[in-house]
Amino acid sequence: MNNKKSSRPNGLKKAVVRLLGNPKTQGLAIPLFSILVSLAAVSLMVMLFGKNPIDVFKSIMQGSGVLPKAAYASKKGMLTDFMAMLGILTPMIFAALAVAVAFKTGLFNIGVSGQMMISAFAASITVGYSSLPSVIAKPLVILIGIAVGALAGGIIGYLKYRFNVNEVVSSIMLNYIFANLTSFFINSYFINPVSRQSRYISQASRLSIANFEAFGLKMDLPLAFILTIPTAFFVKYLFDRTRLGYELKAVGLNRNASKYAGMNVGKNIVLAMTVSGALAGIAGVTYYMGYFSSIQPKVLSDLGFDAIAVSLLGNSNPIGIIFSSLLITIISRGSNYMSSSVGLQQEIAQVITGLILLFTACGVYIRYRVNILKEELEDEKRELKKEGGQE
Amino acid sequence: MSEYIVEMRHITKKFPGIVANDDVSISVKKGEIYALLGENGAGKSTLMSMLFGMYEPDEGEIYVRGEKVKITSPSHAAKLNIGMVHQHFKLVSNYTITENIILGQEPKKKILGFLPSVDIKNTDKKIADISKKYGLEVDPSKRIEEVNVSIQQRVEILKMLYRESEILIFDEPTAVLTPQEIEFLLKIILELRKGGKTIILITHKLEEIKLVADRCAVLCQGRLVDVLDVKETSTKKMASLMVGRDVDFKVAKSEMNMGREVLSVENLVVKNKDGFPVVNDVSFKIHEGEVFAVAGVSGNGQTELADAIAGMLRCASGKIILNQKDITSENIRNRTEEGISYIPEDRQSVGLVLDYTLSDNICLKNYYKEPFCKNNLLYKKEFKTYSDELIEKYDIRSGQGSDTNVRSMSGGNQQKAIIAREIELGSKLMIFVQPTRGLDIGAIENVHKQILRERDKGKAILLISLELDEIMNLADTIGVIFSGKILKIAPASTLTGNMVGEYMMGVKEHE
Amino acid sequence: MDTVIIDGLSFAIPLFIIAIGGIYSEKSGVINLALEGLLGVGAFTGSVAFLFFNRLGFESMPLSFLITFGFAFLGAGIFAMLHGLLCIRFKANQVISGVVINILAMALTTFLTSQINALVLGKPSNKFILNVSSKFTVPVISKIPLIGAIFTDVYVFMPIIIFISLFAWYLLYKTTFGLRLRACGDNPHAVDAAGADVGKIRFSSVVISGALAGIGGMAFAYSITASYSPSIYSGYGYLAIAALIFGNWKILPTLGACMLFGFTRSGGYKIAQLLGFSSAFSDVIMTLPYLFTLILLMFFSSNNKAPLALGEIYDKGKR
Repeated sequence: MNNKKSSRPNGLKKAVVRLLGNPKTQGLAIPLFSILVSLAAVSLMVMLFGKNPIDVFKSIMQGSGVLPKAAYASKKGMLTDFMAMLGILTPMIFAALAVAVAFKTGLFNIGVSGQMMISAFAASITVGYSSLPSVIAKPLVILIGIAVGALAGGIIGYLKYRFNVNEVVSSIMLNYIFANLTSFFINSYFINPVSRQSRYISQASRLSIANFEAFGLKMDLPLAFILTIPTAFFVKYLFDRTRLGYELKAVGLNRNASKYAGMNVGKNIVLAMTVSGALAGIAGVTYYMGYFSSIQPKVLSDLGFDAIAVSLLGNSNPIGIIFSSLLITIISRGSNYMSSSVGLQQEIAQVITGLILLFTACGVYIRYRVNILKEELEDEKRELKKEGGQE
Repeated sequence: MSEYIVEMRHITKKFPGIVANDDVSISVKKGEIYALLGENGAGKSTLMSMLFGMYEPDEGEIYVRGEKVKITSPSHAAKLNIGMVHQHFKLVSNYTITENIILGQEPKKKILGFLPSVDIKNTDKKIADISKKYGLEVDPSKRIEEVNVSIQQRVEILKMLYRESEILIFDEPTAVLTPQEIEFLLKIILELRKGGKTIILITHKLEEIKLVADRCAVLCQGRLVDVLDVKETSTKKMASLMVGRDVDFKVAKSEMNMGREVLSVENLVVKNKDGFPVVNDVSFKIHEGEVFAVAGVSGNGQTELADAIAGMLRCASGKIILNQKDITSENIRNRTEEGISYIPEDRQSVGLVLDYTLSDNICLKNYYKEPFCKNNLLYKKEFKTYSDELIEKYDIRSGQGSDTNVRSMSGGNQQKAIIAREIELGSKLMIFVQPTRGLDIGAIENVHKQILRERDKGKAILLISLELDEIMNLADTIGVIFSGKILKIAPASTLTGNMVGEYMMGVKEHE
Repeated sequence: MDTVIIDGLSFAIPLFIIAIGGIYSEKSGVINLALEGLLGVGAFTGSVAFLFFNRLGFESMPLSFLITFGFAFLGAGIFAMLHGLLCIRFKANQVISGVVINILAMALTTFLTSQINALVLGKPSNKFILNVSSKFTVPVISKIPLIGAIFTDVYVFMPIIIFISLFAWYLLYKTTFGLRLRACGDNPHAVDAAGADVGKIRFSSVVISGALAGIGGMAFAYSITASYSPSIYSGYGYLAIAALIFGNWKILPTLGACMLFGFTRSGGYKIAQLLGFSSAFSDVIMTLPYLFTLILLMFFSSNNKAPLALGEIYDKGKR
């Protein structure tokens, strides 16, 4: 295979290495490259259905409030759409951060959806249905979300540490348990018979302001969004600068060596899952009690699963996650409008997301190939130099 | 037909960043024992991997029985009757010996007359026959995880015989064996030659070459240095060719200056998962300025002994006393603080976090202390200052200094980093487990000097090694471990290599 | 009691074949979280085939449901190649690849279902209505108390699945292919040195894994909902993974785990019914199998032994 590679024109090799080979920018360049390739693949697919890809992408951006639409209903505008997009972006960022914290510690939190639901349920029945004023209710909702999520995550960590229960299995089991339990309580005590969902929570406790008016437009203002970016930086700081972060990463990379270095591996596993669960808890309250204001019983949100992939797309890097969440959220939010304006089924948005993730998953391979190319180029350079020296 | 059964002409093989083989040519006669001599990383294994079809050469040609061939896979090599015993055995741990031997060339039978399936029962018998014929007795129905290393090696040899290989490649076959087992293996190898087989022996041990080989090719840094007639060449000459300079085999060792007791292990028992005592009622003491070496065949409990003292494994009973303090139930960190440094056997999966930088690894045991950490916050600048200092002091070589990803460093430099870290802890007790495994001669010398320097500084040293030479060279006191028990403890000066070897096989005192 | 056995089995058996799929993949060393997506793809392709043949007027054909299972087998098998490609050729992280495959499978099938319904049937529904699979009762034996229930009201696909799982057992434990496959999950280097192609073996294991999951998915579509809709993605794939880990990656104990899921589930429903609880209360009952599993896992996990090379990307160059 190496022989085939060498016969390739050197110019192309150099270009590829220059674009993707710099170790400092690889973390960004390779995902971007994967996204471009996947967008090309999506374009091809869209053309198969007889549509113009540019129209598709444009209408997706319009639908999510990044580009202006041709016309708006009264009191609605680009800002309305944009705020709605931020509303769903908020839980996405928290959920993806939850996945990333676990992943960096070598754990796989597939239970984000369940942790989201149980936290939001706990916050709903305690604060959501109370008459607390909003200054108390809103922070309290977030705190309860954090506490319950942390507990739910912590259980998974503890089961792994104490009983060696595979965290993938236990979080799947807990997903079912949480979904069914909340469903029972909602159906028995908190049901809205018309919507078949839980009763709406009080406006005071909701983490976004519905029908907020500004610039002559009405919108849902996602208050919790202001927490996302500081949280992402906090997670980054945690991993880069703190003793806990150093230990968590070490446990994630090599459990034996961490034990050997005197770290308490079990404690770190439980802690990582607790932090992960807490973040999932915030995702839960911002989703069910911010973007929505009720819980659909028994149905786990797709968001918790998509977050796994979003986290991967962001390379488990908190800052990267902000951008990958934005990308995926724009696509899913804009799909509705795209469907009506271009005439493709709305579900294609998920297909686009899937394809982007598919190509991103190959990122490791791209990096591997690029680095081989790079080594080859350097070898050639060295040889040229040698020959030059002999002359 | 040419007189050579294997010819490799002008072979060059490059891996990204290194040239593993540079224009190497060798020719092997039918029925001879041909040795490939060279240090770790000299390119011996790569060369043979190409003959065995694991890689293809970038340049050069291979001739087998006078015909030019392009060997693309191990199964292709098998068709040419080439077999290989790899340094790291290629065995499936939860399979039986028979299943391992037939893997890839399974004998077939039909169940119920029509369902094709693997015939294990009849093969068991066939394998028992072959193994008896060559004196390689094994129980074919035992699982690999149940048998020791030397039996596992027999299985690898049987694999070749089962495939009726004519050209047998042995890659560092004696690295894991006791002197007696080595002697047995060399006898088998001579036996195989008598049976008409051609043998290529990869090794860096000169005595073995002297004992069995007919001719010997010396490789150094990927190039062929010379091909020698073994009978007419001195070991000294071979060694200097291999290393590229003259070497001293013995390390200069000063008189022992024994101080007060540092470590005392009393009736220690360590059990494995199934409750079987892998370390059984072991007692010994180590003093300041003493190297206590534990000799034994791999898998006799020595790693577990080291792990138990360092706190990686729980003791079932017994006591560990360090500096007059009972540390039997302390955790790892407290033991480290109390004064234990530990250079573990498996440097890549235990001693280092390979994807951490060099500075993060250098600080792996004191990252939580000032000045590296205050109020739970890390000061990476301090990490770097400290690791730059150690890199300089211990001559650790890496691409980007403190920021190098440890994974990209050579084995020798990885080991240097671990030893540097552990020495700088300043502990009273230093545990070395197989400290020179996989290192080349220069690096081995270096490690040996460091061990003795620490001893002369008054540290207590526990050295666990499978290399008898290493033990005989360094030890002040030798303890021989066999199936979890220490059979003999005596001053090194009163023992010979052969005596230690016998204890290692479980032979008790004769007198 | 009879209904408990009948319902329990009709849940456990499809789950079992999906779990066997998982065993194939993981025994060869490839983690397969993609089972969830693959069973959906299988149910989708099978259902499309069903509709297609119905429109051609073949519905009365006695073997029509064999055809749908055939297509489920093929469709999911082909889709599983994607997982194989990602994990083996492109060295992707196997866990991540599995999640990605799930997302893509869900998205593609849902999209295509709407698209096909809109194009062919002219109504944008996300469902394909299937017939309920016919059932049969074995004469004489079914009269035996208790055990007889096993032979009563059996879905036609059940004996087929049992036959396939018997064959899967034979293939995994008795044949050359199986011997090499299991070796790949323990020490792929040994397989390579023995002259077999690790990549190929793993790839085919993943494909088989998908095909078996597809059959299971189709069986769920036939039995539980009698239709194909996105609700097929309700976590049975993950449940199958739990079952196989619980079963320690061995076929027979995994059957036990699946039975446990099936019977606690059907038993729970029955108890709720007998005690006259509200339908909401059945949700509480439904947590029992999972709670039960979790507790059992606490006791049995310490002896769990995953295949040694599971999740390891095989690279010839590295030794």
